[in-house]
Formats: sequence, C-alpha cells, structure tokens
Amino acid sequence: MTADEIMKKSQASFLYPGADLKARVMMRLISKGGQERVREMMMLRKNYGQPGGEQKYFMYFYQPADVRNMTFMVYKYPGKDADRWLFVPAINMVRRIAAQDKRSSFVGSDFTYEDISGRNLEDDAHAVVKEEKIGDRDCTVIKSTPKTAEMEYSYKLSWIDRTSFLPIKEEYYDKKDELYRVFSADEIKDVKGHPTIMKRSMKNLLSGHMTEVSFLKADYNVGIEDSLFTERFLKQPPKRWIE
Amino acid sequence: MKKFSLVEFSVDHPKLIVALSIILTLLFLTQFPKVRTDTNPKNMLPPTSAVRVWNDEVEKTFGLYEDMIVLGIQYEKGILNPDTLGKVQRITDEILKIKGVAARDVSSFTTIDNVTVEGETLKVSPLMTTVPKTDKEMFVMRKALFENPLFIGRIISKDGKTTAIYVPLEKGGNGKEIADKIREIVKKKFGDEHYYVAGDPVARDTFGADMFKLMAVFAPIAGMVMLLVRFLMFKDLFLSITLMMDAMISIVWSMGLLIALGFPIHIMSSMAPVFLMAIATDSMHIFNEFYFRFREKKDKRAAIIATMSAVSRPVRNTALATAAGFGVLLFMNIIPVKVFGGLVAFGTIALRVLSFSFIPAMFTFVKDEKIEKIARSEDISAGGMSLFLRKLAGVGIHKPLTTVLVGVVLVIAAIIGISKTVVNNNLVEWFKKGSDVRVADTVMNKALGGTSLGYIVAISDKDDYIKTPEAMRYIEGLQRRLEKLPVVGKTTSVVDYVKRINRVLHNDNPKYDAVPENKEMIGQYLFIFAMSAKPSDLDNVADYPFRKANIWVQLKTWDAKAMESVIAAVNDYRKENPTPMEFKPAGIAYFNLVWNHEVLWDMVKGLILALIAVFAILAYDFRSIKWAMIGYIPLLFTILLIYGVVGFVGKDFDMPISVMSCLSLGMAVDFAIHFVSRLRQRLKETPGESLSDALLWTAARPGKGIMRNAILFAAAFAVMLFAPLTPYITVGAFIVSMMLLSALMTILYLPALITLTQGWLFKGEAR
Repeated sequence: MTADEIMKKSQASFLYPGADLKARVMMRLISKGGQERVREMMMLRKNYGQPGGEQKYFMYFYQPADVRNMTFMVYKYPGKDADRWLFVPAINMVRRIAAQDKRSSFVGSDFTYEDISGRNLEDDAHAVVKEEKIGDRDCTVIKSTPKTAEMEYSYKLSWIDRTSFLPIKEEYYDKKDELYRVFSADEIKDVKGHPTIMKRSMKNLLSGHMTEVSFLKADYNVGIEDSLFTERFLKQPPKRWIE
Repeated sequence: MKKFSLVEFSVDHPKLIVALSIILTLLFLTQFPKVRTDTNPKNMLPPTSAVRVWNDEVEKTFGLYEDMIVLGIQYEKGILNPDTLGKVQRITDEILKIKGVAARDVSSFTTIDNVTVEGETLKVSPLMTTVPKTDKEMFVMRKALFENPLFIGRIISKDGKTTAIYVPLEKGGNGKEIADKIREIVKKKFGDEHYYVAGDPVARDTFGADMFKLMAVFAPIAGMVMLLVRFLMFKDLFLSITLMMDAMISIVWSMGLLIALGFPIHIMSSMAPVFLMAIATDSMHIFNEFYFRFREKKDKRAAIIATMSAVSRPVRNTALATAAGFGVLLFMNIIPVKVFGGLVAFGTIALRVLSFSFIPAMFTFVKDEKIEKIARSEDISAGGMSLFLRKLAGVGIHKPLTTVLVGVVLVIAAIIGISKTVVNNNLVEWFKKGSDVRVADTVMNKALGGTSLGYIVAISDKDDYIKTPEAMRYIEGLQRRLEKLPVVGKTTSVVDYVKRINRVLHNDNPKYDAVPENKEMIGQYLFIFAMSAKPSDLDNVADYPFRKANIWVQLKTWDAKAMESVIAAVNDYRKENPTPMEFKPAGIAYFNLVWNHEVLWDMVKGLILALIAVFAILAYDFRSIKWAMIGYIPLLFTILLIYGVVGFVGKDFDMPISVMSCLSLGMAVDFAIHFVSRLRQRLKETPGESLSDALLWTAARPGKGIMRNAILFAAAFAVMLFAPLTPYITVGAFIVSMMLLSALMTILYLPALITLTQGWLFKGEAR
C-alpha cells in the first residue's frame, strides 16, 4: 500500500466509521502546573457520502456549569472552509463563527478544530518512513508534509496501526524542526465492530499543557436525523440526544 | 627569643618571596577560564526569598513568561501603510523561526487574535493575515485597531506611528543571542522605519557585556593612570611597577578565589579590581616613610626595617578597618553584596600580607644611588605639597574655633540635604542617556503602554468568583483608578476580554462595551473567548478555577517608587470599596520595589555595623576612646557632606549609592588612623616639641602620604567617570570626592579638634 492509500484508510476508520456517532466526551485540560479545566459534551456526528466527504457535527455542552445548554454545530466540507454556529444560551442568540484559522484551539484545549474533524488529505504530501511497533501494534510511520508553507508545523509523523488503521501516535514538528506536539491513542475498544479510540491525549511539549479526551459512552449507527443539524435544534436540542 | 618577622625574612630572602608570590598568582590565574557572569537583577535576592517564591507562583499560575523582548517599529508617517506592514509581516515570520523564541505566544499584527463581527457572523482570526493593499482594506484595518482597546497602547500607538512585536522567550532561551538575531533581521530591512530592541533580557545582557568591557578595559586603564601618577610622584619606574604588581597580585588572588569557589561575577564584584587597586595605594605610606628613613639611615636594609616598624601599626590597622568596612557586608541579605564584601575583605588582607613581604623584598632590588636621588627630593620643608599641607593644618591649629564652627554649619546644611533624600532605584537608568537600551526604552514608553510590568493579583476564596459581575466591576473600577496614576500607561485584565466579547456578540455596539449583567453571560463569553483566542490569552489573566485574576499594569518608568504608588492606590481603592477579594502585587516591577527596600534596610544595618566596627578598631588602635572619637569626626563629617550633596542635588539614593556608605567608612578612616598614630608617635619620640609643631610635622610628613594616597585613589576612580554604565560613574564620583574630601578634612579638622580639646585629650597622659 502507498502512503496515500494508508492515510485514506486511516481517515475512514478514524473519522468516518459507521453512518453516525453518538459519544459522551469528557475533556480534561491540564496546565503545566497541574491545574485542570473540564469540558463535558455530547458529540453527535453524521456522515454524508464517502469517507473524506461531508460531515455534520452537533455538540452539546454539560460542563463547565456556566455553559450548560451551549451548543455548537459544524458543517464540514471537503476542500472548503467549514461552517460553524454557536448558540449562546445566556443571551439566547445563535452566531455563525467564521474561523479562518483551522489551527486554533478547540474550546481552549490542545486539540485544534482540524484535529477534531480531520485535515483534508490532499493538503499534505504523504510518504512512508518506516515500520515500527508501538506496544504490540505493528505500525507504519507516515510523514505528512503540508503543501503550503502557511501551516504552523513543518511536518507530522503518524504511526498508523496496520490492523485497525487508527493513528496510535502522532508527532508534530515545528518550523525549527523540533518536536512540539504529541498525540497518543491510549485506549482502543471495539464498538459495534468499529475499533474506536476511547481515550486519547494531546500534549504540547513547549507549553507543558496537555488535554485528555475520553469517550464515556460511544455508539454508532444510532439514527441521527438530518433535522438535528438546524438552528432550531441548536437552540433547543431534543432531549433524547443529550441524555 | 626573637619573634619571627615577616619583614626581616622577606628582606633576607627576597628572591624566594618574589618567586612564591608569582607561583601563587599563577595558580589563581588558572581559575580564570572558568569565569561566569550573572547580570540578572533577580539574583540580587536568593531564590528562596518570599518575593521570588511568590513571583514564581504567579508566573506558574498564569502561564507567564519570565523574559520578553520587545521590538518597537516606528515610522514618522505612520506605520499603517502596505510597505511597513509588509515588513512587520516578514520580520514576524523570521522571528518565529528563531530558536528559543516561544513562537506560539509571539504578539504581532500577524499573530494577535482579533475577534470581530460582520453581520451575524463572528470572525476570529489574526489581526492581519494578508497585508492590506487598497485604501478600503487599510481603512478596515485602522478601524479594527482603534476600536479595540486591547490593541491600543499594545501593538499600535495612539498616533499610529509605532507598533511593537512582543517576543517571549522559552525558559533558558539566550536573551542576548535572540536580541542579536532580531537586530540582524531588522538591519536587512531598508527604509525609513526606526527599530528599537527593548526588554528586560536585552538590558540585562547589554549590562553584562558592558560590565566585562569595564573590567577588561577600565580596570587596566585605572591601573595605568595610577602607575603614571606614582611615577610622577616617585620618578622611579621600578618602584611604581612594584606597587602596581602588589595591587595586581591581590586582584588575581581574590578574583581567582571567587571564580574557584564557583561564584559568578556580578555587577558588584566586577568593581572589586578597581577597589583593590585603590586600597593598594595604602602601601604609599610605606614608600613615603621609606624615603625619609633612608635619608636618615643611609642603609637600605636598616631603612626598610625601620620603615616597617614605624608604619606597620597604622598600615595593619587601616587594613583591618578597611577589611571590616567591607566585611560587614557579609551580614547583608543581598547575595552579590555579600560576595563583594567578602571578596574585597580577602583582597585587602592579601594586600597587607604583600606589604609586609613582597614590597620589602622588592625594595632590596633597587639600587642605593637611585633611592638616594629620590630621597633627596623628598624634603619636608621644600616639597610644595608639604608646604601646602602645613598651611592647611596651620589654619586648623591657629583658628580652631572658626574652623570647627564652619564645620558645624556645614553639617547642619548636610543634614537638611540628607532629609531630602529620595529612595529609588531604576535599572534602566543604569544605562547612560544616549545608550541604545535607554533610547529604546524612552521611545517605547512614550508611544506605547509602558515597558515595566507589574501585576496585581486579585484573590478570592471561592471558585468561579472572578466570573461574577461584582468581581468584574470591581476589577474594572480598580483598573480605571490605576490608569489615573501618571506612571501607569495601560492595564489589562480578564474584564477587558469579557467586555470585548460582549460588544462583538452584540454587533459591535459600543453600548455593550461593558461588564455583562449576570454570571452565566460572563461564563459563556469567557468560554467563547477561550474558543476564539490563543489559550494563553485567558491563562495569562485568570487561573483555572477562576479564583484569581491577574491585572497587568504597564508602567512608563522603571522607578521602584512607581510600583509603590500603584500598591498605595490599590490599598486606597480597597479601603473605599470593601470586597471579599484580596490584592497582591507581583511581577518584575514589584520585585524591583522589594529589592530596593531590602537594599536600603540592609545598608542602614550595614552602616551601623560598620560604624561600630570602625570605632572599635580606632579605639583598639589608639588604645583610647577619646582619640577614637576625635579620629571619627572627620570621617563622619565627610560622609555627611557627601550624602548631603546627594540629597540636595536630588540624585536618587539607589543601590550603588547606598552600598558606598559602608565602604567609605572603612576606607576614609585610614587617614585618621595614620594621622593620629603618627602624631602620637611623634609626640613620644620628640618630648620637647610643642603640640602645634608636632601637628604641623604630622600634616607635612605622614600628611603627604595621606594626600598622595588620596590623589592616587581619586585618580584610579576618576577613570570610572567615563564608564558606559551609571552605577560605575556614581561609584567613581563618590569615591573621588570622598577620598579628596576626607584627606582634606583629616589634615584640616584633626589639628583643629586636637588643639581645641587638648586639655581633655591629654588629661592623665604623660605630657
């Protein structure tokens, strides 16, 4: 398999398994000094078309307490900037958010928007570097170099599991060619036949800041209807999706 | 049994002594390559000191950087043009690539977060992603800048002529290297823009470099000046060089020891060589006496031994007094001051050992005829200086009351001057007015919010309290109060971010540029802020549980007293407006304030210790409390006068000035010791002579040594007046005036006082 093929398979099994996904997500943002902030949310995702194609995300926040009822919606398009909407319950207002910067932080965590929803595969040149074992998993190491120089990193190394095609580890190298960000998949479980990363972390080696994400519950093919992804439900999410 | 005499041994084995001295010196010299410097003002206090522990904690809680370099870019016609902004973009890109730069938190046009609203859409992006080309694009940029209070005074000056790039450094990043790389980057950019590299690490490293320059250039120059002055006094190169070597050897010994013990060279200890050179001038008394004795004895060996026995006591005791003056510094809290005190005290003792061994040994190598020639010119009555000194002492002897009364008037004036003393310390003012560091600082302080940074940390005892409207409004009120102070340029807090989001969510309506009405809104706005900006932006102003908020206070001056006025304003505000929150100052500006106070109290303590120590040494040396008191007066007089002048002139009482107080005691007392001991010796040796005659003799003969000593001392330190750093200039000016003044005081006032109080002084003495 070529590097491009591996990355395509990896994208499919990492970001596009099932027709849809319902996951209760706990995020712990941990500072260098050990201080912690918590984000807890329900993440609902639905695929439209083939892996690599359009996706819609719906997120409902439980924690921190003062943002309870806040919702966030993303329409992701291949090869085009995503559309995002945010509902601010305190002022009962929906605002579109045009974030030009895909690399900005997702809710203050060490994950960027792009880390959550995936990066367009055509934006990078992929090459196989070597084969390497991580734990008892045989991995192929792929080097992905962004085709435009405007990225904040110069390249990324991904350890792709040869059986599940999930990324087990990712290393980001900055413009000075120094490793500065590390992703790791810490717990993988089978959910309805899809190997799923239940625990993952992203660590910024420069700031010492780290984010741990765990799926408290995850389920595929739950039958999310298209109408969920509308402004109406953004303001008033159906109970059955957030309980 | 005859006691072992180092002098006799040295005269008998001169070659052995010289060889030993040289071998020891070479041994100490081997330590020199290990030299380290430390110019970080932080290390003035130990890492365990309360202020440093607290500052570290604040830095950790709010993810703050210890070091930040600021690059100011100024263009007379305004920086908002495609050409200049293009340069800003390229310079920023290049800075981001420098090793040691915390690239993720560099603030510039292209990296600072800008949250705006267009219709129903919130836009989150760096302020400038592409350089605005058209007038319309430039208009949008101008609007974005000047309508956002977070930008004004930070990355754009009110007049639009200045911008800045803030470059935080990773822990351990080399400030000097990074600053040099930034300078290289801007050097390549042509055009009429002016660039200024400022910030704490730049000042610190420039200081370090200048300090080395000073040690490597100014200390040798001072040495050469002393050599020249000595040569003019004695007309003999060999002896002048001998005296010089004496100083050099002790410098190598003490600096070698310092380095070997693993201490870094700090600003204080870098001054040690010049101090030791000056203290070495005390051996002048040996030479002075030697020539007189040689004329009487005509035999070199006998003359040397007679000289040493005549001057040994004063020379020994002045060394003791000097060592004590520096030694008291060992009891201070400020580490570099301690090290400096120990260093010079060690060097002083080394010098004295050399005076009794190396110098007599070297004397033996001088040809008799040569000494005779010099000695002939050393005639008391004929010498111009001796004549002047006799006259000066004559004034004191013949008009003692007038002399003393004039002194009393001067002392009163001096006390008035001292009462006007301003205690302050300003690190940037350690650089000269025209220096790059100072110019950069002045320009930036004029254009932007201020380069000296202090923090006021609001502390509550409940999680999420900072998110309440009352906490927000309180902090906002406090900020407005602080901004009224003339020294405060800009304040920034979490409230500013909340207000910004509030306004943006409400279609940029200025009415909403205010604290929201409830806690939910604040919490949600902060969440939106965290979603849209760099995580560090929020971390810098609020802790994780929102118990604490950090108010950034940018000061337009590095004066320690500026932060004092901020703290006073916070306390007043808190008194007028009760709140469950506590407020604690932090940051480098606060550190400077604490350090400033610490120095002052240390020095008051040091001065008292030195006064006691020096008095004890005088009393011991003279075996008389009365004589000690008399000897004390010219010394106190000199110090009072100098501090009086400092007060009148309005010069800040800062670190270098305060450190001088103890040192000057130890050094100026030398003259009184020489004068009084030689006078009493003379009285004993020539019983028939009147007191006035004995005084005149003392003023003319040992007085000449005193004067020569003072002139040499002053000559050495006068070199420091041309130093590139103001603390050295201050020290130079202080020592020059103190030495000359105390020599004059000794020769004028001691005779006057002794004449006036002779009945009391000599009561019970066999005279």
